[in-house]
Amino acid sequence: MNAPTAALVAPRPERLRLVGQRRQILSLMHQRLMLGMLVYAGVVALIVLRILYLAAFGDHAGSRPTVSAYIPERGDIVDRDGQPLARTIDAWSIGLHPTKVIGDKLQLARKLAQLMPEKSEAEYFAMLRSGKNFFYLRRRAAPDVVEAVNALGEPGIALNREPERLYPQTFLAAHVIGFTNIDGHGAYGAERAFDKQLSDPALRGQPVQLSISMTVQQALEHELQDAMTKFSAIGAAGVVMDVHTGEVLAMTSLPAMNPNAPGKITPDQMFNRAALGVYELGSTFKPFTLAMAMDSGVVSGPGQMYNCPDALPAYGHIIHDTHPFGRRCSVAEIMMESSNIGMAQMADQVGTARQKAFLKKMGFLDRVEIELKERGRSLTPSTWGPFETMTVGFGQGIAVAPLQLAMGYATLFDGGVYHPPTILKIGPNHPLPPGRRVFTADTSYRMRSLLRLVVMKGTGKNANAPGYRVGGKTGTAQKVINGRYSQSINITSFAGVFPMDDPRYVIVVMLDEPKATKETYGFTTAGWNVAPVVGKTISRIAPMLGIAPDMHREPDMSEVLPYVQEAK
Amino acid sequence: MSVRSFHSVFMASAVAGAALGCYLVSLRVASERAALEDVESTIVQTQTDIRLLQTEVGTRSRLTQLERWNASALDLSAPGASQILGDKFQLATLVRPQHKLEVEAPVVLAAAPAPPPSQPLARDSDPDAAPAPSGDLLHTASLKVEPHEASARKQATVKLAEPKAQPAKAVAAAEKATGKKTGEKVAAAETKPVTRPVRTAKVDPLAPLPGGKSTAKGTRTDR
Repeated sequence: MNAPTAALVAPRPERLRLVGQRRQILSLMHQRLMLGMLVYAGVVALIVLRILYLAAFGDHAGSRPTVSAYIPERGDIVDRDGQPLARTIDAWSIGLHPTKVIGDKLQLARKLAQLMPEKSEAEYFAMLRSGKNFFYLRRRAAPDVVEAVNALGEPGIALNREPERLYPQTFLAAHVIGFTNIDGHGAYGAERAFDKQLSDPALRGQPVQLSISMTVQQALEHELQDAMTKFSAIGAAGVVMDVHTGEVLAMTSLPAMNPNAPGKITPDQMFNRAALGVYELGSTFKPFTLAMAMDSGVVSGPGQMYNCPDALPAYGHIIHDTHPFGRRCSVAEIMMESSNIGMAQMADQVGTARQKAFLKKMGFLDRVEIELKERGRSLTPSTWGPFETMTVGFGQGIAVAPLQLAMGYATLFDGGVYHPPTILKIGPNHPLPPGRRVFTADTSYRMRSLLRLVVMKGTGKNANAPGYRVGGKTGTAQKVINGRYSQSINITSFAGVFPMDDPRYVIVVMLDEPKATKETYGFTTAGWNVAPVVGKTISRIAPMLGIAPDMHREPDMSEVLPYVQEAK
Repeated sequence: MSVRSFHSVFMASAVAGAALGCYLVSLRVASERAALEDVESTIVQTQTDIRLLQTEVGTRSRLTQLERWNASALDLSAPGASQILGDKFQLATLVRPQHKLEVEAPVVLAAAPAPPPSQPLARDSDPDAAPAPSGDLLHTASLKVEPHEASARKQATVKLAEPKAQPAKAVAAAEKATGKKTGEKVAAAETKPVTRPVRTAKVDPLAPLPGGKSTAKGTRTDR
């Protein structure tokens, strides 16, 4: 009865159906709205977070990259006392962009020629009209020139600051320090040898410390330049070396070059006569032969006698002396008067094989063992027979660099131990490499009094510096000209060691083609021209090197003096 | 009730306040850091300037230039070996104190004579040792000059001893020589033998003097 009638279960009215639809649509819209809002909020949140992040950790306007220390574009080179020898500074450069020039080109060329007279007006005008993009007008320009050029007000002229290599000491030790090329890379000397270290950003903050001592270098260069001018020599070289470490304290080659203007250096100036040039250095070789003879047991001591006639025929040749004895003479006298005849006999007794072995151990048969790239290789006889052994014994037929000779003397007087020469200061960053023994310590000790004798009584008297106990050996070698030994043109050298009672420094000085003067009484031998250079230089540098002068100290001269026949 | 309903508002404001505080701290840190960077960059700038100035000064006073100035104006030279001293003793030897002779000054004794001690002096270091005589302790800082008489007596004894040491023959010969010339003075010579050697010493026997010939001859012939 109560069953619903069809009339009662009427279909849903249209309005209600619409309500349902609207709800659906509404919820959909809500969902979309919510999504939109979330996206918007997300974007806002992102922006806010970014702003917060930037505020906390970001860079602020005007912030510069943090630099805790100044790092130069290229590392410094300093001497052993820390004095700068090479530095990079910001210099002005004046450039020209011909295409950007707006003013009257002829007028500009005229003004430029006035300000920078190294080029003519016509040349400047040609540059301006060339249509090229860029020219350097001047690098490392002086501030007043830069100011004047800036006052021209020409937009085509570019004034820039760019790193420039400056050598404050100009000519000093130029062959050791070297110079850089236009790209700022090492082209010569230490600049070239240590280019990697000098340009590496991680390493260039620390300067490269050389073993060169500026003051010693200056003294050597000055005295050598004086002698070169006085004796009208065509070249000169000098080396001062520490006996115990092989550190080169000074090395010079004359004529000098100015590394601040590498473009103007002539090939003759650029040639490093101390390390690259090899010369027959003559009698300065004799101490080595004597040491070899002593080490081999050929010579028992300075008292051993040799027959020294006026001329010695040997293997089809005749050997002469400048001061012939014409009698029997002791080893001490042979050394003192630099007798070729006596020394040739000693070398003959030593023999070719032993001589070669010694020279090899001393590093005389190879390139000089030094960091510089400009280093020479010694010249040795192509056929090394018994006669060549004799001539090598007194320094003929073998050509070495003066640096090599200094190295040989350092070996001989460092107790017979060879240390390779170095231009880097020995210290914590560059420890002393282990040496190798060449001569016995006893031989080294006995050579002291023999070389002191040469300076006290022999050919090297002019090298004496009172109080500093100089010992050494002169060497006068005839220069080979067109394949023949010249009778008048010499290369004179002196190898000295001081103080002789406890050798600390070696000095080697060489003059190329010195001429005779009135003071030398017409002589061109080493005792007259290079020996005084050594004496003067040692008087100057020894106090700086901490050697106390002492007029009462000498090496044990009683070992040699009894074997010297006094002149009547 | 009302507080509870505002709970969310408080929470939101607290969070906002904390965030703001954190932001301010970070802002402060950033500004401090920026200031530090400024200082650092100023330091680097100054270092660069110092380097530049050093380079300029170094270039202007390069050793070659100094040497040139020295040659043209200063003319200094390296010290010679004799100008370098090893120690203060060598320095002291350069200055010698002036030696003054004060002839007029009286001789002053460095110690006054003290009365002899009533009891023996005891030494601090060595109490067992016998006491030193007082004379040893007293030193006079002057040359002891003997009285004239005493010295003359001493000389006489020395001179007397000489002829004693000589063989008697020599004395007799001397007597003979003088006796030849002056016989009266023999007695005087015997009483005063001291004067004789003094007289012979006045004349040099080797000097070729005509006046002293006789004396010289006399002595020589006796031998």
